Amino acid sequence: MPQDLRLPVLRNVELDQASFLLEFSAPTMTASMRPAQFFMIGIPGGETLLRRPYSVCGLPGTFDDGAPGAAQLLYKVVGRGTALLAALKNGAALDVLGPLGNGFAIPEQPALHPVLVAGGIGVAPFPALVAALGPAHVPRMFYGARTTGDLALARWFERRTELTLATEDGSAGRRGRVTEPLEEFLAASEPRLLHVYACGPEPMLRAVARLAARFAVRTDLALEAHMACGFGVCLGCVVPTRRRGSEFGYERVCIEGPVMPAEALAW
Amino acid sequence: MVSPDLAVTLGPLTFKNPVLAASGTFGYGAEFLSYFDLGALGGFVTKGLSPAPRRGNPPPRIVETPAGMLNTIGLQNVGVDAFVREKLPGLRAYDTAVIANVFGETDAEYVELCAKLDQAEGVHAIELNVSCPNVDEGGMIYGTDPRALERVTRACRRATRLPLIVKLSPNVTDIRVTARAAAAGGADILSLVNTFVGMAVDVERRRPVLTKVSGGLSGPAIRPLAVWMTWQARQAVALPLIGIGGIVEAADALEFLLVGASAVQVGTANFVHPDAAVRVVRGLESYLVRHGIPAVRDLVGKLDTGIPA
Repeated sequence: MPQDLRLPVLRNVELDQASFLLEFSAPTMTASMRPAQFFMIGIPGGETLLRRPYSVCGLPGTFDDGAPGAAQLLYKVVGRGTALLAALKNGAALDVLGPLGNGFAIPEQPALHPVLVAGGIGVAPFPALVAALGPAHVPRMFYGARTTGDLALARWFERRTELTLATEDGSAGRRGRVTEPLEEFLAASEPRLLHVYACGPEPMLRAVARLAARFAVRTDLALEAHMACGFGVCLGCVVPTRRRGSEFGYERVCIEGPVMPAEALAW
Repeated sequence: MVSPDLAVTLGPLTFKNPVLAASGTFGYGAEFLSYFDLGALGGFVTKGLSPAPRRGNPPPRIVETPAGMLNTIGLQNVGVDAFVREKLPGLRAYDTAVIANVFGETDAEYVELCAKLDQAEGVHAIELNVSCPNVDEGGMIYGTDPRALERVTRACRRATRLPLIVKLSPNVTDIRVTARAAAAGGADILSLVNTFVGMAVDVERRRPVLTKVSGGLSGPAIRPLAVWMTWQARQAVALPLIGIGGIVEAADALEFLLVGASAVQVGTANFVHPDAAVRVVRGLESYLVRHGIPAVRDLVGKLDTGIPA
């Protein structure tokens, strides 16, 4: 059940070029929260009216130095809302609504090998996912960004996943798009034994969805959308879909998502 | 002091308190059950209903603007039949007024909607959304054409015994003209205002931000305009009014009550705090206590302009 709470910021630290990790304590919200679920975050008295959706990055136990019951958000300063968020000091108040959305489905005993595909700040939901999968299921991970400074938490993933990096400018890992090493990997694997989890900009997700169809690999996409409410009423966040129950050909990222199977999207 | 009396009567309708949730910001009601008991509100207005389900517009559908937002949802809704069959039964358990918002593209569609809802158990009133194009008359917006507005209101009046609310469009030169037209057509109550047409431009891409170019502006940015229009309508017609436009807290609702609205609708603020409308109810109550005013209806129209009569 989502809750709407005003909570203090515990820490708000800059990691790399303009990417930040923000922590707040919300034991009642985090207890049953799943990776890729999200919060609607507002700054009380701030100059923006609407809250912004942020995927949960860390849940209790994800980061070794996390406070008990705390959640962490990973964000990059891209506009007004994120600039205001980045200016918050420890102890500042946040309006937090959550947990929202469906989140990644994680089997008790994963029979399929997890493959993580992240683009830029779309890496945000993956620390919590890696932690939820546990040390028995070290995922294969493909993590791409424009340049090396945009690869937030790359060292964290290096220790916990079998990691391939890609940058468009070649400043770290492979030069080019992250979907290129992914395609090579899928071509050399048995796709029926894999479960791909992807999050990133829409062009990347579309490319991942095409690979999912071509290799017939089970693929869940964590989507991002502009939304006013986060709980199903503004209808601002819809994406075109084609699956049963999608009677209007649109589904809400906030309720039916943010995680949708790749084949459901009618892009 | 005994707790103040929050009940208000608007023509044929009595609400337990003057705070309603506005159409398009409250879904079909059930979406809010995780957050509060719907009985805390005077009532709520459903998402706009059409004769057939509507898919709505392609995304992007919303954008935040200074102290507000633009939307072009495109009237996505389940259609009146699915509403009556699937959504309405679950709402009967709650002690709150359910107001069905409807829109059509022809007079006949409005009449069909009113006639269907008239037969539905659990609908307390109908609100006409007249901010839609009238395809019979070349896409002229109903709510900006006083003649068409009076005619469609009269047709709906004949089609239902339910209290009839006409939701006025602010996209007119003089709101008093359309207020009088709706009154002449037989409306019981006027609600005002719907969203203002607006537009935002993505200067980097040199494109409109919204796919449909324009959208409806809502939120605190429109409140002074909406308060002014409510004040103007108050001078023009004797009908009870429901004020709408950028209400976030009790003080905002009080502006509308003081200029002559008997009730208010909270809209965009529901997106920010799911219980925003309940917070407004509580705030009104504490205002009444603080000022020693026994009943909220005592405040309606009690603006002191300081101008000698």
